[in-house]
Amino acid sequence: MTEKQTQAQIPLKQFYNPEDIISLDYETQLNSPGRYPFARGRQADLYGASGWIQRELSGEGDPVRSNEQIRYLISKGQMGIDVIGDSPSMAMLDPDHSLAANAVGTQGVSLCCLDDYRELYKGIPLDSISVSSSLPPIFALAGLYLAAKEEGVSPLKLRGSVLQTPFYAEDCGYAMQMPFNLRLRLALDSMEFCAREMPKFHSFVEDTYFFSEAGLNVVEEMALGFVEIRHLVREMIKRGVDIDSFAPRIAILVNCGMDFFEEIAKIRAARRLFARMMKEEFGAKDPRSLAVVITCHTSGLSLTAQQPFNNIVRGAVQTLGLVLAGVQAIEVSAFDEAYRTPSKESHLVGLRTQQVIHLETGVAKVTDPLGGSYFIETLTNEIESRIWGMVHDIEAKGDPAELSYEGWFRRFFQDAMERYGKQINEGRLLKVGANIHQIPDEEDTMLKEFTEKKFEPCWDRIEKIRLYKKGRNQKKNKEVLQKIHQAAKQPKASLIEPVLAAFADGATMGEIAGVMRLAYDYPYDPHGVLEPPI
Amino acid sequence: MKNSRVLIGILGLDQHEVGAVAVARMLRDAGMEVVYTGRFNLPAMIVQTALQEDVDVIGLSVHSWEHIYYLPELLALLEKRQAAIPLIVGGSIITKADEAGLKKMGIAAVFGPSATRQGIIDSVTALSGEYRGLWKKHG
Repeated sequence: MTEKQTQAQIPLKQFYNPEDIISLDYETQLNSPGRYPFARGRQADLYGASGWIQRELSGEGDPVRSNEQIRYLISKGQMGIDVIGDSPSMAMLDPDHSLAANAVGTQGVSLCCLDDYRELYKGIPLDSISVSSSLPPIFALAGLYLAAKEEGVSPLKLRGSVLQTPFYAEDCGYAMQMPFNLRLRLALDSMEFCAREMPKFHSFVEDTYFFSEAGLNVVEEMALGFVEIRHLVREMIKRGVDIDSFAPRIAILVNCGMDFFEEIAKIRAARRLFARMMKEEFGAKDPRSLAVVITCHTSGLSLTAQQPFNNIVRGAVQTLGLVLAGVQAIEVSAFDEAYRTPSKESHLVGLRTQQVIHLETGVAKVTDPLGGSYFIETLTNEIESRIWGMVHDIEAKGDPAELSYEGWFRRFFQDAMERYGKQINEGRLLKVGANIHQIPDEEDTMLKEFTEKKFEPCWDRIEKIRLYKKGRNQKKNKEVLQKIHQAAKQPKASLIEPVLAAFADGATMGEIAGVMRLAYDYPYDPHGVLEPPI
Repeated sequence: MKNSRVLIGILGLDQHEVGAVAVARMLRDAGMEVVYTGRFNLPAMIVQTALQEDVDVIGLSVHSWEHIYYLPELLALLEKRQAAIPLIVGGSIITKADEAGLKKMGIAAVFGPSATRQGIIDSVTALSGEYRGLWKKHG
């Protein structure tokens, strides 16, 4: 008989005893929820009356269509917004780029200029709802900041977040073809700007979700996440920014797969690691700097194209685990995600999954209900020590910029992708409906009607943006882009103010990203089609 | 016998790479020569590389709907260059209706979510053998 183990290959015993946690010191390792080291939760009354932020990742078509989608979700009880861009937007290309032609608005919303953000947020109460996004952070920030100001909402009031992915984006899903140093600088500039101008806004969400979807286990997921967090924190300290001015606005967006207890232990371990690191290593003093906000998007990779109804069960199990672990916001991956950009129906199922768990089961009434379990505490300790060990192993390899340039991270992700494929093929990772308990295709019809519904790219938007660009004052546009180029050439200048000015003056994401690339001796258009406008 | 030479790539701005990487390595491990073109390819780039590299089969991993528009263009380009290189399309997003449509369009083999390792290897082997036979006949 093979030894039982978790998905991250942590050996398991048949059961756990008091002896397993005999060396656990309650005060220093656990403590009450809301107290250092926050393993049991960042607050004592974690879910209060309203629960966690329940939302679904949305975005499709043009900004007007996505605005309707957001309003629909809010009308069904969604408590926060999280919008994802289409693939051109994620790659920082405007919709009129030739490579974008067949992808405008199909895998998310198409956003490229301030007008788009105005339409996206029209009529949305930006002063009271948290606005998160899975978009290139500098543009999401600029769009929200400027749109809110025009609506008379002070940026001081804005809540929400942007994802900062300088380390791994190029290698794993969201390549924007920018050099490492520029990606890093944009993240740091944003954090510095927000610490001053948008103090309630989480300017640095460490997104461990997207890269762990390469098939990473929980230890690898969090280790790579911490490597990135630590690097950004050190760089901010080097810039002379007070740690307590930005650390409270760091959050982690984690993945959640199907190994139930392992995922719970991962989140508890991450909170404790973060608190200790901030206090002991980086000298943070504000308790809010130590108690990290953790949010989650449940794993799309854990879902199957076969028997899509099984995905609803998976979403429910993952959501339950996340609530038991005490996260601050949840998005459930859509049951039809294996096939398509989420349907309206699957969004509703995701939201209702959260509402049923919140309002019917009572699991959110007591904070950290699993705290003290012999098993959970043992697993939390084990995962914590494995994450920490791996963080130090990676840091010992040298400068992360060098690792990134020489392809170490990319190889790591590709090896994980290969390993994951093999685990499924060889049946070592079981997926009901996919590699066990399969049914013939002709029987596999339930909920499949949603998978066959497709929608076309927004062809008309391509022409609209072309006309928009022609209609601007070309001379002025060139000037604002030149200013960004100049600022980008000066390593100490902040890029945020010139980007805000250019965005306000009508420059587009593709243009702004392009001139920043140029300043770093990268091609304006990574795909070699467009001529630089400056 | 010469090993199969296979191009594996992704079209347009689709950045989902898990499937392409897993399949590329799987075919390599099965003894084939793999030309991996990665992300961000337009049909013309795929055809150009396929001809330059003299591949026996083109395998495209699709996880967005962009392929609906790019594949007819790619097939037309192959025909224009008088290169009958068989095209295989794979991806978990491919539905039964998609599969039927793709085959009708002229895609030699389609692999949806239930594809097996052996099924893909056998298909690549058979198609490249056929293609090489064809090549010899004409050349």
